[in-house]
Amino acid sequence: MFFRFLRLLLVLALVVSAPHSFGAMAQGLGQAPAGLVADQQKILQGLMTKTDALEKKAQADGVDDTTLVDIRLQLEELSREALNSALAFRSRLSEINPRLEQLGTPPAAGQPPEPDIVTGERQALASEKAEINAVISSAQTLAIRINALIAKIGNMRSELFRNLLTKRYVLSDALSPQVFSDAQAEYTNFYRAVSSWLSFAFKFKFQAMLAATLMSLALAAVLLVGGRRLFGRIFEADPSVEDPTYLSRLSVAFWSTLLPSLAFSAFLASTVFLFNYYNVLRGDIGVFLNTLAAVIAVVFCVNRLTNAALEPRQPNWRLIQVETGPARWLVRLTTAMAVVIGVNSFLSVVNDKMGSPLSLTIARSFVSTIIVGVILVLMALLKPYKGSDGSWRPWPAWLRYTAIVLGLATIVAALFGYIGLAIFVSVQVVVTGTILVTAYIGFLSAREIGEEGGFAGTSIGRWLSANASYEDTALDQLGLVVSVAINVMIVLVFLPLILFMWGFQPGDIQAWAYKLATGITIGSVTISVTGILSGIVVFIIGYFLTRWFQGWLDGSVMARGKVDTGVRNSIRLAVGYAGVAVAGLVGISAAGIDLSNLALVAGALSLGIGFGLQNVVSNFVSGLILLAERPFKVGDWIVAGDTSGTVKKISVRATEIETFQRQSVILPNSNLINNAVGNWTHRNKLGRVEIKVGVAYGSDVKRVHAILLEIARGHALVLKNPEPFVLFTNFGPAALEFEIRVFLADVLNGAIVQNDIRFAVLDAFESEHIEIPSTPRAEVKVKQTEAWPLDDDKIEVEFAEKEQAEAEAAAEARRLAKSGRKARKPDPS
Amino acid sequence: MWKSLVVAIALTAASGSAFAASAVNKDAETRTLIVTEGGGKTELALAAGETVEFCPNGCFVTLPNGDLEALTGSETVEISGGVARIK
Repeated sequence: MFFRFLRLLLVLALVVSAPHSFGAMAQGLGQAPAGLVADQQKILQGLMTKTDALEKKAQADGVDDTTLVDIRLQLEELSREALNSALAFRSRLSEINPRLEQLGTPPAAGQPPEPDIVTGERQALASEKAEINAVISSAQTLAIRINALIAKIGNMRSELFRNLLTKRYVLSDALSPQVFSDAQAEYTNFYRAVSSWLSFAFKFKFQAMLAATLMSLALAAVLLVGGRRLFGRIFEADPSVEDPTYLSRLSVAFWSTLLPSLAFSAFLASTVFLFNYYNVLRGDIGVFLNTLAAVIAVVFCVNRLTNAALEPRQPNWRLIQVETGPARWLVRLTTAMAVVIGVNSFLSVVNDKMGSPLSLTIARSFVSTIIVGVILVLMALLKPYKGSDGSWRPWPAWLRYTAIVLGLATIVAALFGYIGLAIFVSVQVVVTGTILVTAYIGFLSAREIGEEGGFAGTSIGRWLSANASYEDTALDQLGLVVSVAINVMIVLVFLPLILFMWGFQPGDIQAWAYKLATGITIGSVTISVTGILSGIVVFIIGYFLTRWFQGWLDGSVMARGKVDTGVRNSIRLAVGYAGVAVAGLVGISAAGIDLSNLALVAGALSLGIGFGLQNVVSNFVSGLILLAERPFKVGDWIVAGDTSGTVKKISVRATEIETFQRQSVILPNSNLINNAVGNWTHRNKLGRVEIKVGVAYGSDVKRVHAILLEIARGHALVLKNPEPFVLFTNFGPAALEFEIRVFLADVLNGAIVQNDIRFAVLDAFESEHIEIPSTPRAEVKVKQTEAWPLDDDKIEVEFAEKEQAEAEAAAEARRLAKSGRKARKPDPS
Repeated sequence: MWKSLVVAIALTAASGSAFAASAVNKDAETRTLIVTEGGGKTELALAAGETVEFCPNGCFVTLPNGDLEALTGSETVEISGGVARIK
């Protein structure tokens, strides 16, 4: 992206700086910008020379992998530059082409001739265009050549690697007594070089060296003390803890490997840097010091890791449950292996720089690989576990045999003279093994954190739950996020490390990353990771923007504007769906997927939708109609078929209705659109309630009518207008039937009103001696309890109970009033 | 936490998005572009009315009239009447 941007800037600059004024164009496009062609030719010439030089270098230095990678990176840069120089003609060409079109083709024979000036301009432009084409063509040729070279370098590198592994040395030459005298000579040389450097440094650079040493020591102290202060609790095993959890053991192992290793590497790097900065180093000494620092860092890291995982001193913090004795041995053996490998690689650098004979190199590698192989076999043969009967148990079979095979392979390869292979294997065993084990520990702890309740148990989780009042579920989700993040981090950190170890160069990884970011082309489809990621990111942003906008619209604008809840809900839902749809579309196009392709797919799918998804689609469309038309809204009391209840939620496919028995009924939206839906509270909550009353034949019906009307009028919730009405409905078989019809402002109060009126009717009829007949009325013999003698104690107890119940009811009412909840009204039906 | 997340997402979004050059054939007959990308030349045949994405990392293109042009990978090549224009 950055390069693209730079390129864009370059092109822009070229366009802007092209010395063309508008006036010049009006006069028939003048001449070519002085020397644009010549300039680019010169640039291309330079690029070609560079390419030649690089090609020669690649042929000459074909033995060194690092140089080859470096050459490849330079070639890629050259290829980009060639393209850029061709791009410089863009503006000029975009002027020439339209002008040529305007001038048209030369007149054919027999047509009137054109003015000379036109012919001249056409010829000039055509020849300039031909020149430009020639230059671009040479740039193209150069680009093709560079790319062929890049491919060739790739082949050379794989050839090189194969050679390294399969080259066989004659051991009998290398292992003759001659080697000892060679080694003696080399040691003397090395000693002389170091001591001469030391005496030089002491004599001439004493102060600088002192300053560098002191500064790096001070830095080491700061890292040591500060690191311990800051992170000590994370990575130090606390001996006072009896039974640390698996997670805490894991995290201690992981961090106690990673942090000190990082700190130590920082210290070594700063030391080397300071020595360089003060110009203390001279000649080969700098290389030696660099290698020494790297070797020490690796040995330190390996030692830390084994110590952390095996904890020979604290059995309860041990990650791998081996016995104490074997644990100690394992730490020693691994450290020894790391030291051998480290010393070997340091000596190889010394050999290189001192130009020592090949036999010495072979002998050194031979010895160190044999030692590493023997150590591997020893480790495999170790019996680390104790059985229940006290006998020692070996490693699990797969581990034991892998280690033995690796160790024996190293030894055999070395014995047969395949020193390169042996060294490769032994270095891989130590370094890749260390990296893999650290990564594995990291993975394990990520998994533990992701477990249910895992994150809440960590110190961060405890701190969060104490200070930020996170719920347990939120902590769990956070733990999941953290565990995913740790996994990603491990892959990002350790994958490149392992790739380095396996002979890939930083340049390789850089080139891959570049390719991955800009896209891999398969056929005509370009897949690019950044494209897909940015699509996802754009969608997420769109989603959250929608949610935020929804919340703002609902909470601030519509709530303040006193908009009806149903309308609010509809608008909220519509905005939400629209926002998510727009975010999805924008995300897809940001991911680089052409929407016109999707249209094709949608066209094909629509047939299938027509048949298979008919119901779903019809419900979906019905949902949209419900939102737009709003025959009912959330909170309405509706009757749809057999279902009667309040609307709880209108979603796209179905509507949720809660009946008065508190049963949730999910009604598909198409039912609500296609069938009749009764809504008690559509425009207003006004509603009529009927109460049927029957009186005995022979009663004074006028009086009854008056009483009923009076009762209906007398109720507080009954509306005065429309007036309550009492209808003499029928001369029934058993009774004269009346019906009280009252209108209520809120039909939801129907149950209360019906109740009140029925009670009142019964009371009034009793006092007026009006009979309500009932056929057949069950004969019930009421057993009169004896009223006398009174039991004082019983009355007292009953009174106390009543008092207490009243007090409780009052307390309950107070509590309800305090919590701001209204006592629920009875349901209307 | 959300704020920082949103900022991070916004930064990531701002830093990356994918481009490729695209070619549109507005003629009624098939037109051919010769694309030089990497180490080789390929012929890109465009049917009538077809749009093709190509050349994500910069390339050279030989247009139907024989002109040679370099593309950075973000342009649109429009062919109409046998003449290609780069936008």
